[in-house]
Amino acid sequence: MISFTKFKKTSGLTVSAIALACSVAMTGCASTAETTKTVDTGSFSMPQYESVTLDNGLQVNFMVQKEVPIINVNAVVRAGAVNDTTSGVSYMTIKSLLLGAGGKSKADIEQTVDFLGASLSTGSGRESMTVKADFMSKDLDTMLDIMQQVIVSPDFDSTEFEKLRQREIVGLSQAKESPRAVIGRYYNKLMFGEHPYANPVSGNSTSLAEINIAQLRAFHQSYFQPKNMAINVVGDFDVQDMKTKLSAAFGQWENTEIAVQPDLSSGLPKLTNSKVLLVDKPDAIETTFIIGGLGIKRDNPDYVGLTVLNTILGGRFTSWLNDELRVNAGLTYGARSAFSTYSDAGVFSISTFTKSSTTKEAIDLALKTYARLWEQGVDQQTLDSAKAYVKGQYPPKFETGSQLGELLADMYIYNFDDSFINEFQTDVDGLTLAETQRLISTYFPKDNLQYVLIGNAAKIADIAKKYGEVTTVNITDVGFGQ
Amino acid sequence: MKRNISALLVLLSCWVSSTALATTVEDINTFTLDNGMKIMVLEDSSIPNANMYLFWKVGSRNEVPGITGISHFFEHMMFNGSKKYGPKMFDRTMEAAGGANNAYTTEDITVYTDWFPANAIETMFDLEADRIANLDINPEMVESERGVVQSERTTGLENSNWRTIQEEVKSAAFRAHPYSWSVIGHESDIAAWSLEDLQQYHKTYYAPNNAVVVIAGDVKVAEVKRLAKQYFGVIPAQTPPQAVRTVEPLQKGERRVFVEKASVTTPNIMLAYHVPSTKHADYYALDLLNTIFSEGNSSRLYQGLVDKQVASNVVSYLPMSFDPNLFYFFGVANSGVDAVQLEATMIAEINRIATDGVTQQELEKVKNIKLMNFYRTMQTINGRANTLGRYELYFGSYEKLFSAPDAYNKVTVEDIQRVAQTYLRKANRTVGVLAATEGAD
Repeated sequence: MISFTKFKKTSGLTVSAIALACSVAMTGCASTAETTKTVDTGSFSMPQYESVTLDNGLQVNFMVQKEVPIINVNAVVRAGAVNDTTSGVSYMTIKSLLLGAGGKSKADIEQTVDFLGASLSTGSGRESMTVKADFMSKDLDTMLDIMQQVIVSPDFDSTEFEKLRQREIVGLSQAKESPRAVIGRYYNKLMFGEHPYANPVSGNSTSLAEINIAQLRAFHQSYFQPKNMAINVVGDFDVQDMKTKLSAAFGQWENTEIAVQPDLSSGLPKLTNSKVLLVDKPDAIETTFIIGGLGIKRDNPDYVGLTVLNTILGGRFTSWLNDELRVNAGLTYGARSAFSTYSDAGVFSISTFTKSSTTKEAIDLALKTYARLWEQGVDQQTLDSAKAYVKGQYPPKFETGSQLGELLADMYIYNFDDSFINEFQTDVDGLTLAETQRLISTYFPKDNLQYVLIGNAAKIADIAKKYGEVTTVNITDVGFGQ
Repeated sequence: MKRNISALLVLLSCWVSSTALATTVEDINTFTLDNGMKIMVLEDSSIPNANMYLFWKVGSRNEVPGITGISHFFEHMMFNGSKKYGPKMFDRTMEAAGGANNAYTTEDITVYTDWFPANAIETMFDLEADRIANLDINPEMVESERGVVQSERTTGLENSNWRTIQEEVKSAAFRAHPYSWSVIGHESDIAAWSLEDLQQYHKTYYAPNNAVVVIAGDVKVAEVKRLAKQYFGVIPAQTPPQAVRTVEPLQKGERRVFVEKASVTTPNIMLAYHVPSTKHADYYALDLLNTIFSEGNSSRLYQGLVDKQVASNVVSYLPMSFDPNLFYFFGVANSGVDAVQLEATMIAEINRIATDGVTQQELEKVKNIKLMNFYRTMQTINGRANTLGRYELYFGSYEKLFSAPDAYNKVTVEDIQRVAQTYLRKANRTVGVLAATEGAD
């Protein structure tokens, strides 16, 4: 909490490692005149694991990792903010699972979990919800029992729910004290409009006030079912013993209805002009901004290639954006770009921040730097370096039991298999200079860019007008958009 | 190769059972170069990667007024050009080899972190040795880096209430010791450093005898030793830096600060109590007390403030520290709760331990939490490198990691109450309030 660093990630919009699922067919690509240099970063492949589907359809994955005597378990559900009927209902449902279950109160659960030094938490996103725990191997029975009750038999205690709701509503106001904490929500709303991908996972203060326990129960019943879930276990355990225990805990659980999923491939926005959402924070001392457009969906076959290209543009310290805005111009502490991918769509974003007085300078420099993709393209040396970097930084993304558990969870939600890990290095190495030109012209949004600027509108409103049609909201207004 | 980490874990499994410790110190391979640079190596081939952590015994504690923040600024400048690898080439060379890096500066130390595919280790040694031995401070780079650090300072104040209020609380809690200023330094000092300041700082503090290096991952000890001698061993030692002389005078009454920030929706309170350095015998009891206060929803502060809807969030924080420092408490008010009520409730909850003590069960719980946190940290090569280095610096020897289980096990409920009574007193406290408006008299 007291340290200051050379460089920090500046945006919540980062490329998920899991999104690297891809197998690019490289055979037939033209070779280039320049000599390519392939850096050997060592071999890395998916650790062994075993998958079982119980009679009720529940998929269970077991991966033994004995480095430390702990076990990570996660249960991942195919539902999220895109399934919200009232904004935030998925989020409040998963949060409420820990408010008491199977006759154990919230306090009972917390005392038991804490006493073991364990953790039990929930998370939700646009398309998935997770209950996860880690604990010492010796505490398996106790923790599995609690997880089973939380997942299958939550109480949805009304007193605790009211307290949670109140905290979440005040938390939304407090989050808006930090532009960095909320800018991604504004950006998604600007980008996706009325499409479910625009739904903020957190909900907003009005919608949270409307949600009732009946909605939570209905949401739980609709989506928390064996056929709509996977459980992933990673750590120091005996597979046979774990199979027996998980079957006993979840094998009798019955499906109730078909989980209805929205059609996310329809109704996606068409961006026909540049728009600027100016979020006024009158006491802001800097402007925090995102520029971008639509990106790619998770299963795009060019994902690995785009990851390498984005590394060059804004995905590492020596990236063009960071080099120009930070190192050369001293305008910011960090600048980056990213593709964020979902099942049926995605966004591309360039993000940074600068003091109010250099807002125009920073935006213009970001745009000018971005334009290099089309004006100059990349050279062989830069491409080789980015390929080495992407490969070299890959294995540590899957080092802990928790990381491996999340990988298995994403494999379930986004329907990919081990090959994306096992073929990753080959796919990176296969990217040619010629291929990069096709990727640039096909995928990076060039026209009709979208902007979110959070800052002091009195100082930057005239600047905002230069980039597109401006809509101004106050940061304290309910929600995250117009 | 998991032998080293297994040995550590055998040791740590004694944590809760209080049995005698197995001595496994030899599993950490250490050697010291002739120039005084100490190097520790942990072999682990679970992924084809390794890291190098360089711990420098320099932080904002070593500064004086006029050059506050220079340790952190200097951390930035260490990336901006040396004899062999000129401006920008440190990062470009490292990334082209598949590596990444970062660095952080605290009140006491500056730590450089290199993460790389293991077969790129010689490049890492070459890069680090060049900037330790031959830093070339370029005037143009200094100017652009000033803007970067000013932006870092601004974005911290824009996005973090903790940073905004902590800067003021520290300045009130310390009136003599250099912990008084924030690590990032005063705005005017950031604008004023000269090339000479930076060059002198480099010569004084970036000598090999002022560093500890930890390397963990898919490496071999013999190879590391060879490279360390070749690249680091030839860098001459320097006269050790002068000791920090100032001892903060005893605080004799509560101090208060107020910060206005218009966009703050509910008041924030920071309480800071003077406590001894990490090497003090009371550290283990204080560390467990910190865990009792704020780790998990069954913790004292969650139960007393968040669960009762007084605060939306509350944390406590006890930094590791070379000199006596502060034990922090930070609360964010729930809606409808004013600063006075939040402060009073936080203080009441803190004082309750001094008055009534803790239960044996609470103590057992936090010992389990410490053990589990240790396992989580030790899952990664970075966690291992960082932990070993921090023990070496803050406790005086990495071997203290091996006696830590025993030291934690010895802490009793009476110790917890005693340290609460000793340190968490009104006269020893600084109160910071952050709110939208202070209000008129």
